[in-house]
Amino acid sequence: MKLGIDIGGTFTDIVLLDESNSFLYFGKSLTTYPDPTLGIINGVKELFQQYGRRLIEVNTLVHGTTLITNAVIERKGAKTALLTTQGFEDVLEIGREMRYDIYDIFITMPKPLVAKKLRKGLRERINKNGEILVKLNELEAEKIIKQLDKEGVKSVAVCLLHSYANTDHEKKIGKLITKKFPHLNYSLSSEIMPEIREYERASATVMNAYVQPLADQYLKKLKVKLNILGFEGIIHIMNSAGRLTTIEGARKTPIQLLESGPAGGTMAGVYFGKLINKRNLLTFDMGGTTAKASIIRNLQPEITNHFEAAREKRFKKGSGLPVRIPVIDMIEIGAGGGSIAYLNALGLLQVGPESASSTPGPACYNRGGENPTVTDADLILGYLNEDYFLGGTMKLRKDLAIEAIKKKIAQPMNISVEQAAWGIHRIVNENMANAARVHIIEKGLDPRFFSMLAFGGAGPLHAFNVASLMNAPQLIIPSGAGVLSALGFLLSPIAIEEISSYVCNINKMNWNKLNTMINMMKEKGFTFLKKAGIQKKEGVVHITSDMRYSGQGHEITIDIPLKKLSEKSVIEIEQIFVKEYKLRFGRSIDNIPIESVTWRVLVSGPSPELIPRQVVLAKHKKALKGTRKVYFNNSYRDTPVYNRYALEGNKKINGPCIIEEFESTIVVGENSKVMMDTFKNIIIDLI
Amino acid sequence: MKKFDAIELSVLWSRLISIVDEAGTTLQRTAFSSVTRESADFAIVLMNTSGESMAQSSVSVPSFLGVLPFLVKALIKDYYPLNTWNDGDVVITNDPWLCAGHKPDIGIVSPIFKNNKLIGFIGCIAHSPDIGGTLWGANAKDFYEEGLYIPPVKLYSSGIKNENIFTIIETNVRASFQTIGDILAQVAANDQGIRSLNCMMNENGLLEIDTLGRQIIDASEKAMRAAIKSAPNGTYKAAYRGDGDGRKEPVIFKCAITIKEDEIFVDYTGSSSEHSLAINAVMNYVFAYTAYPIKCVFSPEVPNNEGSFRPIHVYAPEGSVLNAKKPSPLGARNVTGNLLHGPIMKALSQAVPSKVQADCGAAVWVMVLSGKREDGSEFVEYLFLAGGYGGRKGLHGEPTLCYPTNVANVPIEVFENDAPVLVMEKSLIKGSGGLGKFKGGEGQRFIYKNISKSPIQISNVSEKINNQAYGLFGGKPGRKGYLFIRMANGKKKITPPKGHDKLMPGEALVMELPGGGGYGKIV
Repeated sequence: MKLGIDIGGTFTDIVLLDESNSFLYFGKSLTTYPDPTLGIINGVKELFQQYGRRLIEVNTLVHGTTLITNAVIERKGAKTALLTTQGFEDVLEIGREMRYDIYDIFITMPKPLVAKKLRKGLRERINKNGEILVKLNELEAEKIIKQLDKEGVKSVAVCLLHSYANTDHEKKIGKLITKKFPHLNYSLSSEIMPEIREYERASATVMNAYVQPLADQYLKKLKVKLNILGFEGIIHIMNSAGRLTTIEGARKTPIQLLESGPAGGTMAGVYFGKLINKRNLLTFDMGGTTAKASIIRNLQPEITNHFEAAREKRFKKGSGLPVRIPVIDMIEIGAGGGSIAYLNALGLLQVGPESASSTPGPACYNRGGENPTVTDADLILGYLNEDYFLGGTMKLRKDLAIEAIKKKIAQPMNISVEQAAWGIHRIVNENMANAARVHIIEKGLDPRFFSMLAFGGAGPLHAFNVASLMNAPQLIIPSGAGVLSALGFLLSPIAIEEISSYVCNINKMNWNKLNTMINMMKEKGFTFLKKAGIQKKEGVVHITSDMRYSGQGHEITIDIPLKKLSEKSVIEIEQIFVKEYKLRFGRSIDNIPIESVTWRVLVSGPSPELIPRQVVLAKHKKALKGTRKVYFNNSYRDTPVYNRYALEGNKKINGPCIIEEFESTIVVGENSKVMMDTFKNIIIDLI
Repeated sequence: MKKFDAIELSVLWSRLISIVDEAGTTLQRTAFSSVTRESADFAIVLMNTSGESMAQSSVSVPSFLGVLPFLVKALIKDYYPLNTWNDGDVVITNDPWLCAGHKPDIGIVSPIFKNNKLIGFIGCIAHSPDIGGTLWGANAKDFYEEGLYIPPVKLYSSGIKNENIFTIIETNVRASFQTIGDILAQVAANDQGIRSLNCMMNENGLLEIDTLGRQIIDASEKAMRAAIKSAPNGTYKAAYRGDGDGRKEPVIFKCAITIKEDEIFVDYTGSSSEHSLAINAVMNYVFAYTAYPIKCVFSPEVPNNEGSFRPIHVYAPEGSVLNAKKPSPLGARNVTGNLLHGPIMKALSQAVPSKVQADCGAAVWVMVLSGKREDGSEFVEYLFLAGGYGGRKGLHGEPTLCYPTNVANVPIEVFENDAPVLVMEKSLIKGSGGLGKFKGGEGQRFIYKNISKSPIQISNVSEKINNQAYGLFGGKPGRKGYLFIRMANGKKKITPPKGHDKLMPGEALVMELPGGGGYGKIV
């Protein structure tokens, strides 16, 4: 059996897969602070007791967590130092010198994770070709580290200029720390992110060093606790690119885990795409504070190497600390159930990004919230059921929702409460559709060809309208939408990506050098797989390179043929580049040489194949629960309400309708057909 | 005529901004110019049939505020009257007096047709990689040395490419594929905007956008006026000294800001005359850099369109450094524009003391290098370096932050890959920020050495070598900047603060960027 566990901000989600009969079991428990392993143990115990299974039956456990992200946001990592080339100690603080908000005079930039007094320069210098101009003085390095150790530093980041071209000096410092200061953690930039651009490389390396002691302790503790409960299998960790790594891999580069939860959601999307035969999908995850969207193209998630952690302003690009690790490309929009509606300086209705979160929460939660939110509007419009929120475990107060919207929106605008609620619902949907559209266009793709996969607490409520705004042909609300990330963990392959920089015009390549470099990266990958219990012959190699037209500053990632490369490969590589460039930008450019910047070798184990035969759920009798008044197209209509758990497979019903489930409510608008497939996914065709 | 209710207006308005952002995304993804791509040195504006701005792309630098509507209005009035436009036309120009004040900024305007009727315009302005002429900088003697001039002409007529124009541009600029590539990217961006607008109009059953435009513009104007009205009436004066050439010919800015009910008048009478260096600014550029700090202070949240600028009036005497006429050289006019927030903030500090900031270590230094690499290939490299940010009420100034323009630095490792140089140091200058209750941000020291066997041509555009960023309300000024060459024997050599020079093999250029001013007395 395989077990997936995802620790989110509020809930810890658990999915159990019995491979012998392809049965899936879902469980949920509250996330516990400050020790999240308690929540895991609670949830696992409960699920296994409920279904009479034993933890010893589990051979693989896959885990993801927000722990690392939170440590960076809350600045709760270890006391960290940075060793760098002398004269460049401030690069980490200077950053890129650019503002992320041009109209805000009162802007603040993110403070570096290492303060000035712990940033130390070493007399050494390597040039762009990797030639050593000034040799590292190891005695001096030792003296400095000794002093840092005395000052209570727990972790050391090392980022020297051009270390992507020659790792020698950084490696020497690594060896020195292992030998003389074995109690210190350290991160070398040439291992964490061997790519050109010193600020971004230093930022990623420092962040890794900063969270490493914490990740180390946590992962050790988790293993011990699970073993006590009887678990004897292996543990894999989900990374931000939708791939699994080993515990050792995660301990070495914990920054890989920054986006593990959201990556799980997208990987589940890949799986559902296969299941229903849609190669291109937009995943849409709307929760209490934010909505996230990602693209799946040809059953592959879109990966980017640009990511920022701990933004000063959550939705402002450029306001965070850059981490150039492979992550699933995702946009995050300040739109969720808790998003607050207000009138701006121009008297116009706006929604978000401010959120009432869970405390005080929307007005209808009756926890003291006075601001009208998206959830309040959804309740007034009849999309939500005041008696069946979270399966009836929480009662909603419609009167409070009406009062809040009346006072803050309807009266000042001189419109009815229903109109105001409809306005809030529409505007938040528009915001999400606009952001998703720009995101798709950024990739040179056409938004109209993407079916949508919606999940998260508020996703199924808003997805129909958002899908209509984007002209999406089909909308899928998967089963297990409440634990989708954890499910995605079970569907992701074990993999490692090795990275090297080689900036060169492809007509002037030293092919021997390149082939040797690629082979070394491959071997490293196979060694990793072997440690994870996967034989070399099962491993799949995928080579990509970030290339650009010479003179451009922005690279695109292209696939490289899997053979020995030589001058003869130039034409083929050029053709692949031009094809991808045309796809992204609608045109290519003649007579400009192409150059490679970064080479990436991905070595993966086999992708887990899974066809769930049955999702195990409690029994429900009647599908049609009754009708209620729901707002569609400027008026309330009596609308049928169904119980999702009692719907039969392969039967069609017509929109509009409401389908209720425990964690969410599916709102289906007019002109649509709804079907539940044999896997209990709800598929809606928009006509 | 139909009036949109407040909710429809909200929905359609945010959609319009999304449309220009979609166009902007297309441009950013396809441009060669690193300032366009990485520093968003461009703007895309959707305009109604009068050339009034309805929506501007959200990522943009200040220098383009209000510029495209100015251009389109001039095109309609003096070049292409409304009845002469056809579907598929594209007009190009880099006329500094119609565009953004120097030749590298290229404006591209496309008409928008719906059911064979002209319903509006979309325009795009962006910094091109090269426009010919002498090495960019403050050195040009006149307008003609600054490269190719493209008067407003049709680049496409009814969708048909005007090959002659392309040939003229191609044969007059360096690395022409980049400049041509960026022009095509601009055309593609406009096309994307037109496609998206069409889609939105079909979805919402709109046949024209003038009605919507009027409502958007009126709402913005109302909000801007209300914001200005909250400030006390009066005339607030400030004088400010810029380095000019950094030697004997400084630049003096005088500004008198009058707030009268819901309007604001900025008068630059008394400022210096046209300068002998290429740092002269034209009126619409001065308008942009005057409106920008005013907007930051009064209404950062109001979207950019015609209405937000209607209550702002700017005057500069003809023939002054702020309203230069042909054939004044204009190349490095950014220094002049970038300094205007100095006198404006100083004047406004008398009216709204808690909303302003002390002076920044601006303008951003733009240092250009060109020459030959060891393999004989040529290189041109632009360096942008920021000084410290000014202190604000409640907040210290940030170190090394670009203001008022907004460009990213070039990574050291990229710089060393592009040019035959070795960077010796990039560090914050301790104590360079002005003291105060809220300190000014620190400036930086940046030193690079020529490690090739031949001289490197350098073009310096530095500022605040002779002057300091002022403090406010008892805050101290920031440390001034220093610029010199360190010879192989360690001795200092003077290099012009603005102008061209040679960096010989083994010599290093030492740049010390100014700190920001402090805000408030130390208690």
